[in-house]
Amino acid sequence: MQSLVNSSITPLLNTPGPFNEFPGEFSPLEAVKALKETRVLMIGAGGLGCEILKNLVFTGFRKIDIIDMDTIDVSNLNRQFLFRESDIGKSKAEAAAAFLRRRIKDESLEITSHFCAIQEKDQSFYRQFSVVICGLDNVEARRWINALLVGMVDSALNNLIPMVDGGTEGFRGQSRVIIPTVTSCFECSLDMLSPKLTYPVCTIANTPRLPEHCIEWASQLEWPRRFGDRKFDADIPEDVDLMHSIALARAKEFGIANVTRSLTLGVVKNIIPAIASTNAIIAASCCNEVFKLVTSCNPVLDNYMMYSGDESIFTYTYAHAKKANCPVCGTEVRAISALRWWTLRNLIDVLKTKQEFLLKLPSVAKADIPLYIALPEHLRLLTENNLNMKLIDLVSPGEEVVVTDANLPISMRLLVSKYDGPDVEPQDISSLLKS
Amino acid sequence: MDSEIHKAARYDRQVRLWQRGGQARLEHSHVCVINGNTTSAEILKNLVLPGIGEFTIVDLKTVSDADLSGNFFLTETDVGSSIAEAICANLCELNADVRGNAVREDLLKLLNDSGFWRRFDVVVVTERIRKEQLERLEGILWPHNIPLMRVWTCGFSGAVRISRFETAVVDTHDPSPTFDLRLDCPWPELAAYADSFDLDELDDAEHAHVPYIVIYLKALEHWRKTNGSLLALPLSYPEKTDFRRNYVESMARNMGLETNFIEASQSIHRALQKTNVPASVAELFQRPETSDSSLRETKAPFWLLIRALKEFVSSSGGFLPLPGVLPDMVSTTSSYVLLQQIYRKKALEDKLTFLSIMLELHESLGFESDFDAETIANVCKNSALIHLSNGSQLNNHNNLLSRLSKSLEQSSDHNLLLVSYFGIVALDSLAEQESHDFSHFVQTFCDITRVPLQNLTEPIKNVLNELYIHNTSRYLNVCSYMGGIVGQEILKIVTAQYIPLDNLYVFDGIKSMSEKWKAL
Repeated sequence: MQSLVNSSITPLLNTPGPFNEFPGEFSPLEAVKALKETRVLMIGAGGLGCEILKNLVFTGFRKIDIIDMDTIDVSNLNRQFLFRESDIGKSKAEAAAAFLRRRIKDESLEITSHFCAIQEKDQSFYRQFSVVICGLDNVEARRWINALLVGMVDSALNNLIPMVDGGTEGFRGQSRVIIPTVTSCFECSLDMLSPKLTYPVCTIANTPRLPEHCIEWASQLEWPRRFGDRKFDADIPEDVDLMHSIALARAKEFGIANVTRSLTLGVVKNIIPAIASTNAIIAASCCNEVFKLVTSCNPVLDNYMMYSGDESIFTYTYAHAKKANCPVCGTEVRAISALRWWTLRNLIDVLKTKQEFLLKLPSVAKADIPLYIALPEHLRLLTENNLNMKLIDLVSPGEEVVVTDANLPISMRLLVSKYDGPDVEPQDISSLLKS
Repeated sequence: MDSEIHKAARYDRQVRLWQRGGQARLEHSHVCVINGNTTSAEILKNLVLPGIGEFTIVDLKTVSDADLSGNFFLTETDVGSSIAEAICANLCELNADVRGNAVREDLLKLLNDSGFWRRFDVVVVTERIRKEQLERLEGILWPHNIPLMRVWTCGFSGAVRISRFETAVVDTHDPSPTFDLRLDCPWPELAAYADSFDLDELDDAEHAHVPYIVIYLKALEHWRKTNGSLLALPLSYPEKTDFRRNYVESMARNMGLETNFIEASQSIHRALQKTNVPASVAELFQRPETSDSSLRETKAPFWLLIRALKEFVSSSGGFLPLPGVLPDMVSTTSSYVLLQQIYRKKALEDKLTFLSIMLELHESLGFESDFDAETIANVCKNSALIHLSNGSQLNNHNNLLSRLSKSLEQSSDHNLLLVSYFGIVALDSLAEQESHDFSHFVQTFCDITRVPLQNLTEPIKNVLNELYIHNTSRYLNVCSYMGGIVGQEILKIVTAQYIPLDNLYVFDGIKSMSEKWKAL
């Protein structure tokens, strides 16, 4: 059976081709052995993950771990082909592994599932793998695993764990190969992500114009006001109906059209369109890179392929450059210029919202003095008074601070290079508008 | 769960791309794939999951042990049974709404029945079939404008070629549209709206909420007076810079704080442009297909729309129907809602005018008016972006040959991908010959490309060598990649949305690069 599964790839491995980088050292037997014995970690068992698992197993990989904290939803079934209606509610990692075990009756196939968040596993877990392949739908998890893998590199030992990362959105996607400390890392390219669409609070509160403004008002302002601690749950249809009706009432009051239930769901869940074909393209590209990497049969993508299919078909392959001041893999300090009227809170807001930082729970320290510590709670309480202090009184121009984040294994040196602007915050005009 | 609600939930993530109209067209489509193999299963998976109406696999063969390798959609229990039936059954498991058919007939016999082929919306060939059979199939499909796709997977490379007479797309989903706001030629209601603002009378807060459309209209009036031309627009870079600095920004009370003026200053390129009929659309008006005699003969719905659009433009003084889409802009709710009503009202009037032109046109030609409201709305909303391309048949590629022969010395990635394509075509041709050795393959490549053997450079030989020694069509990563590409192109074709490939695409999985060309 095993030879049959592999027969489709043996023609690729029998002879080194003209593009093989080390034809003298290439051995077909070693290549097949590497496929059977290399332990691969798949992060994400969703749209990309289903494709990735199928591709890995049917190109000879035999030792695969899958980690995913999600459960199966009906809206997954338009692309996640390892799941059926009867699987709704089950763990994606477990259902995908079970499907492949049923499908392939090969005793050498070892698929292990982990139904948990990637952050729940420590370095000793990740150290077991020779390559990590990611099919994720969110930035946070990618940043976390990227920072962890780069941080695990010990230059004395030859222990780089390459990370192959895929991502899709509608008809677009990208695949990339990250060799920690050698190529640019995920954090190096953070500023390439398209910024999340947000609306100013004053627009939502005072001058709504779009149906989205009404939905954001309902979810950000009105829901907490009406229901206090009762959190909105987008997976409960009654909650979505209620949110929709609140937004609809707001829209009616202002004469705004087109607040639909579907749009409400899209806005509150930040839904990204997804189709099977784009996932197939990106997953196949990622698996092809893992196949080349593990068998050494051909050179690996250096290091980024962009793909777009909404107007004809377009790809762009290039070597994305490392950033010298990358907080994960760089060595240089990152500089920021501040405004004179900023408090420490303004700096924290910049760290949270600016595309090049996008931190969730930043903490700031100067030399060994903590300025603001987000977690744990008792340190936050000790430092939170500093938030209202003027930044210029805490950090002199040309002084460096260290920024860390409770959600990310990173530590960033940030230089406050200079202060500009007025001493007092200018007034916001929208707040003066007569209602 | 109610089946309609259930379906909406299942297809939610894709309907956000092509809306219900696209989904309905997908559910009424029928795709045929000739030959059952890994690539065809991968293509069909990407169509069955989103809910294509029906698919048909044509193949006589039975499943062998070797077929299982690399194919997720065949299992051990399928060995010995019909490959078309086995793949069909395994795919249908993915979506109960989809109907799958397996046809176990000889292709040659089926090619005698052109009616069999005309029922399909797309026909795909995933493995080599005899050259004369492929030509015959193309001859059946081309006159009916049914796309024929030939897909190749070869080692680490893949390619697809589409043969279709004509591709017309109205709903093109242009990702970065400029806004059609008619600022250079405001209709009376819009001009009156702008006049209703007296900026000097407003308090600071109101002044900071004047919609930028009003700011532009006032600035433009001022600019035109100063420049002595009542119809001109600032179009050149220096003019636009002057307009921005001295007409828009100078109207602000505080450029650092008034977000509406900041927005106005930043939106000049997208919002302020000459209103005209784009050349790509004006060209369509000149086509002979829009003449009475041609329309009487073809009754082609697309050309009827173009003809009606042409008449609309001539009756409106040179304008296409207004899409009526207003971008968000800093403003009070009431100003914005009022402005939106003005744009929507004008768009509705244009739509009614277009509808009456369509009705008159149908009457004058003696046709039934069988178009629907969605079609009319779609055209009025997208008329400036209508796309039309004329394709070519599979054996046409002279433009690519001359390009190749002119640039043999340049071993750019672009050229080497073109070499891959002709290498793959040469392997096809080699299979119909007696000798299959490498030198014969290289000779076949030279015959097809008309490149003398001694002119082949080292990089070209390497590409050919790679294709030859790793010549397998079953490497799943490439089959799945091409399955994704072909699946996506079929989705675009059957939903009649987004712009499909025209007409050749090549992927190289070693360099992880790809390129597209139009072969003629």
